[in-house]
Amino acid sequence: MARAALVTAMDGSPAGAAVVNLRGLVKRYGAATAVDGVDLAVRRGRMHGLIGPDGAGKSSLMKIVAGVLAHDGGTLEVFGQAVTSERSAERVKQRIGLMPQGLGQNLYAELSVEENIDFFARLRGVDEQALAARKRQLLAMTRLERFRERPMKNLSGGMKQKLGLVCTLIHEPELIILDEPTTGVDPVSRRDFWAILDGLVDERGLTALVSTAYMDEAARFATATMMLGGRVLAEGTPAGLLAALPATVVSVRCGEQVEAQRRLGAHFRDTMLRGAWLRTVVDAAPEEPASERARRAEARVREALAGLAVEALDTAAPDLEDLFIARAAPAGAPAPLPASAPAARRAWPPGYHAIEAHGLVRQFGDFRAVDQVSFTVKPGEIFGLLGANGAGKTTVIKMLNGIQPPTAGSGSVAGADMLRAPGQIKRRIGYMSQAFSLYLDLSVRENLRLFAAIYGVPRARRAARVHELLRLCDIQGIEDMLAGDLPMGRRQRLALACALVHEPEVVFLDEPTSGVDPVGRRRFWDILFHLARAEGVALLITTHYMSEAEQCDHISLMYAGRVVADASPEQLKAELGARRGALWAFDTSAPQAAVEALRDAGFADASLYGTSVHLLDPDGATLAARVAVALAPLGIAAGPPQRRPLSMEDVFVERVLELEREAAR
Amino acid sequence: MKAGRTLVVARKEWLEIRRDRLFMALCLLVPMVLMLLFGYGLSLDVEHIPFAVVDHDDTPASRDYSARFSDSRYFDFRGRLADEGAIDRLIAANALRAVLVIPPGFGRDLGAGRAARVQTVIDGTFPVRAMTMRGYVLAINAQASADLALERARAATGADERSLAALAQPVRLETRNLYNQPLRSVWSMAPKLIMVILMIAPPFLTVLGVVREKEGGSIFNIYASTVSKAEFLVGKLLPYVAISLFNALLLFGLARWLFGAPFKGDPLCFALATAMYVACTTGIGLVISVLVRTQTAAMVVVAIVTVVPAALYSGAIIPIESLSPAAAGVAHLLPAMYYAQVATGSFLKGVGWPVLWPNLLVLAAYAALLMTVGYLLFSKRPRA
Amino acid sequence: MNPVLGWRGVLGRGLELVRKELLQLWRDRVLILFLLYVFTVDIYLAGSGLSFSLHNATIAVMDQDMSQASRELASRFQPPQFRRVPAPADPRAAQRQLDTGRSMVVMQIPPRFQADLGAGRPADVQYLVDSSNSVLGLLAGSHAAEIVGRYNLEQSAARLAAAGAGAGLPRVDNAQRALFNPNQNEAWFMGIAELLMLVTVFAIILPAVAAVREKERGTIEQLLVSPLRPLEILLPKVLAMTLVILAGVTLALAVVLRGVFDVPIRGSLPLFYAISALYVFTTSGIGLLLATIARNMAQVGMLAIMVLAPMMFLSGMWTPPEALAPPVRALMAVSPMHYYIDAGFGVLLKGMTLAELAPPLLAMTLLGALAFGAGLARFRRQFS
Repeated sequence: MARAALVTAMDGSPAGAAVVNLRGLVKRYGAATAVDGVDLAVRRGRMHGLIGPDGAGKSSLMKIVAGVLAHDGGTLEVFGQAVTSERSAERVKQRIGLMPQGLGQNLYAELSVEENIDFFARLRGVDEQALAARKRQLLAMTRLERFRERPMKNLSGGMKQKLGLVCTLIHEPELIILDEPTTGVDPVSRRDFWAILDGLVDERGLTALVSTAYMDEAARFATATMMLGGRVLAEGTPAGLLAALPATVVSVRCGEQVEAQRRLGAHFRDTMLRGAWLRTVVDAAPEEPASERARRAEARVREALAGLAVEALDTAAPDLEDLFIARAAPAGAPAPLPASAPAARRAWPPGYHAIEAHGLVRQFGDFRAVDQVSFTVKPGEIFGLLGANGAGKTTVIKMLNGIQPPTAGSGSVAGADMLRAPGQIKRRIGYMSQAFSLYLDLSVRENLRLFAAIYGVPRARRAARVHELLRLCDIQGIEDMLAGDLPMGRRQRLALACALVHEPEVVFLDEPTSGVDPVGRRRFWDILFHLARAEGVALLITTHYMSEAEQCDHISLMYAGRVVADASPEQLKAELGARRGALWAFDTSAPQAAVEALRDAGFADASLYGTSVHLLDPDGATLAARVAVALAPLGIAAGPPQRRPLSMEDVFVERVLELEREAAR
Repeated sequence: MKAGRTLVVARKEWLEIRRDRLFMALCLLVPMVLMLLFGYGLSLDVEHIPFAVVDHDDTPASRDYSARFSDSRYFDFRGRLADEGAIDRLIAANALRAVLVIPPGFGRDLGAGRAARVQTVIDGTFPVRAMTMRGYVLAINAQASADLALERARAATGADERSLAALAQPVRLETRNLYNQPLRSVWSMAPKLIMVILMIAPPFLTVLGVVREKEGGSIFNIYASTVSKAEFLVGKLLPYVAISLFNALLLFGLARWLFGAPFKGDPLCFALATAMYVACTTGIGLVISVLVRTQTAAMVVVAIVTVVPAALYSGAIIPIESLSPAAAGVAHLLPAMYYAQVATGSFLKGVGWPVLWPNLLVLAAYAALLMTVGYLLFSKRPRA
Repeated sequence: MNPVLGWRGVLGRGLELVRKELLQLWRDRVLILFLLYVFTVDIYLAGSGLSFSLHNATIAVMDQDMSQASRELASRFQPPQFRRVPAPADPRAAQRQLDTGRSMVVMQIPPRFQADLGAGRPADVQYLVDSSNSVLGLLAGSHAAEIVGRYNLEQSAARLAAAGAGAGLPRVDNAQRALFNPNQNEAWFMGIAELLMLVTVFAIILPAVAAVREKERGTIEQLLVSPLRPLEILLPKVLAMTLVILAGVTLALAVVLRGVFDVPIRGSLPLFYAISALYVFTTSGIGLLLATIARNMAQVGMLAIMVLAPMMFLSGMWTPPEALAPPVRALMAVSPMHYYIDAGFGVLLKGMTLAELAPPLLAMTLLGALAFGAGLARFRRQFS
């Protein structure tokens, strides 16, 4: 192909050759080792993903490759140039674009969109004529054209991230390095971003090294490297990686969920709650043939649950998060949670709601941040409040917490009236914020002790309560460590413990798991599950992780201050399936071109995931034929469509795009 | 180094400063406010001293003597006290600062050609003011004694005025206060204030500007680009130097026209020295900002490194000659002293190149040294 | 559910929060080191380095007579006030010596000085003073006047006696007594002044920094959703800061002021602590006010300078109220620091009692209460 030829001519190396080559790379900060002997090759023209939680060493590795951080050991070659010093790093910088971590952190808040772009271009010595042309093209592609004059600080998260991408591309680098470009961005903007990036990689033969903390995004990469603790856990194509995990995911719906979870937890490595369902990863025995796996896994689960009423059961292939957990989880199951006697559950009058919101409105000047929001949450229920940044989630929480009075509407929390008794509410709820709001310079015990005092836990009860919480939240043995020295997972559980210190009946969790690795997130959800099911605590949670949204009993989706959907995840997905059809995936020889052709042919949802194409379609029987017709003129062949389960991300994106289209009309 | 890219960096920095209203306002206001406050608030002129008299003698001679104090412009006569009992309390409560006590027999002693003893009780809390008051008392008293002697001589010898004068005052001291004839403290202070403020403000602005970029993460744009270290540093510092030079001009204007301090020296020499001094102090900011990571730490370090040396080791308040040898040594190692000499020299003494060239040389060398150190410490591929 | 807390519960909760603040301060090693530095080294530097008296003023004597009389006069310009430096050869060299600052005073004794004295003709001595530092210029002049005055008296007395004009000449001996600091030890003033100033600086900066830090880290949210009322959040903070500052005061008093400078502590120490605690507590309101305006540490720093500089100059520490213009004096009346300075020096140096200090203390309390109330009100409004 012409493009491939061009690429070869520019560099003298064929497409697919290694642009970046690491051997035994080591990076230390004082006594801590951030990157611990990593080998990595990034091939030309590919999108290479680095997947791992905070602290996995992704950022350090990317900065080292970009030549902005010195390493301590191993060798590094970029574009065939050995990078050993500041001077040698300078030689390859013109060919590299770096977008560091932190939404808009590397942009200049006071400068306009255009001024930001101009600065990056002139810094790189791009001549004015080329700059004008590229700027026009990139602004059009990212749909930022209208916002040229707007100061960067007034852009939304998604727009900041796209501007960051434009600034990184303005000098036409051959290799772009993007450090967690999608963290903190809502699912719609995320999909948009990936589509733009896919297009660039495909059209320009760009090489991209991209990191993400979202496991489900790993499927989008041509090659993915999973990292943890500065080391590589696994590497390969997403399909290849999954092939290395011989396991089956069995989901069951069962009346006696607490008991079922206990039994599954005792038999299998990885069990989690998803609303009314329990999801268990069943590892295959070594000699088991692949065709038998699903059937045998089902049998083993049924055996474990013998005597319990299994209402429904499903089997599926594991996903990348399952793989990560299989690789990263320490050997042996985590300590079981303390069993609560049924007597510990509180008795509630019939029809009692832990949270009730009726027509809440909050007006800021001309801006209506929250508009007629109503919902109810029962004791023991896990309630998810979803929505993009600025949809009004935080304002709703603040009103329910009694920090902000509503402009109109009423409600009650934990049996106390929102308008009349905000003081009582404050005593009866627990609150855990995004930032974990811990005192990082205090130890685990000191933090707990402080919050126990703040919430007036009687002195006699304090020591016992602290002990209980240490056990419940699995943070024993580190009582005297400073909160700031804890890894994110433990820090998060400490924050939860602090929110629980006064045994609240309602707990608010505002994006509680950002930056925490999947293993830590599972552990966290185990505790939430215990609180809800065993202690009858009502939980209201907001999250950016759509995989977490699946774990809620009940979800409200907010858009522009209003609640636009209110149901269980299952119902929401069923509703989407009924309206738009099932989700189908198939491989093609030229995925990017195929996506464009399919969109032109009326498959509006067609999008690219690594090398495969995803789309929604109601008619599975004729889909293959219609796809073949759409792709035939381009000479692209497509594999047989395979049905995939719908995700909450599909629900969220579809719903928001629909609303945006409505608003535009 | 390409001028174009340097200007790109400078322009961006300038836009950022200009749009951060609070920062911009503080950039321009802080130096001006400091100057006004020092100029108006830190008057070391001691006048209108609240003053009272205890006159146990109450003769024409004692009244004549105490009137010499009451009538001077230095003392404000607040009344007579019956006795010494209340003096300490009144001075402690800041109602009085000086009390003249004339014992009985004052007039008699003088009449008999003897030394008469009096006492002045002064508030010693603030030694500078006490010292100045002492100076006034000494001067008035010396004049009184001389006049008394002259009178006595006239009565005793009947000599003519000329020989009498020679007799009473054989040595005539002709004191000329050079450079600041009216002895206005604000004239003395103004040039030194320019020195002090330009010692503190430029490093503050510089560290906040550079460390802000480090703390926020946008420094990685620079690290990752092909802009050279020199292009970046010069471009980055240029707006801060420009603001500081503008401030220098403003301070000069305030000193010259608001406080009326005379400027007798060579404007070009002063301007050049000011530019080099600003380069020095900006360089101090540069070195600090390369070494620290947070804005808070940067401010603390700047405060420690600049405030004390500017006040103590610069000749601002104490002349270098009066410092202990060790302190004088420290003063010679810092740029403040060299610029203080240029400022005072240009404003009050009216000296120029012939006297000040070594100072300019030192300032230039200092600026070059600091910039070089900053350049060498700054790395586009740091270790952490 | 929680039982509703009684007063003991509230108190216990408050103490736990104070403990938390103290722990956090203790773990902030940079801050602890900085506090140690200022309450010891900084006060020491200020006290030992700053001196306003005439000390080692360089004097060059151009003795054109080289007689016994001229040498006798010149020899009276002695240390510690004066230090002799080599004389210039001619008037041009003398001017240059003054211009470059190599000598502060040039005294020119004319030829035929001794002959003139002997012949009863007045002899004119030129005394050129570099007055670019007005205070020192004045002091150099008055010291010279005193020396020459005394020399004249001796000469006249001898001559009059020779002329048979009687036993002696009348003169006045004015003995001076400086209250509170009889030896005019500048370290006493500077040490105490610096201490009182640092107390003010930290009373404002510590609570501001602590509040902004909670804002930056988001922990303030956690406190706001808790049942704590705004006053319950702020009070422990301010209390902890007060304790820390009082610890600093203790260190400074014991180690530097008593230990090194031998400052006599004439009043009641408990009274001084009580006053300081009251002052720190109330003044912290200004810090809280700043914290509600600033978004980050850098802005806190700048705003603190803008607030502290005027407070310092209007404190009356450097310039007494009587030397200020009436509008400035009115401003001074609303600066709480002004009253703290009065009370601080009053207790430490003047040995004043609570009753004697009632007026400034009342004003200080009133202004402080206003500041604290304003800080609390704004904090409450911003966060609820």
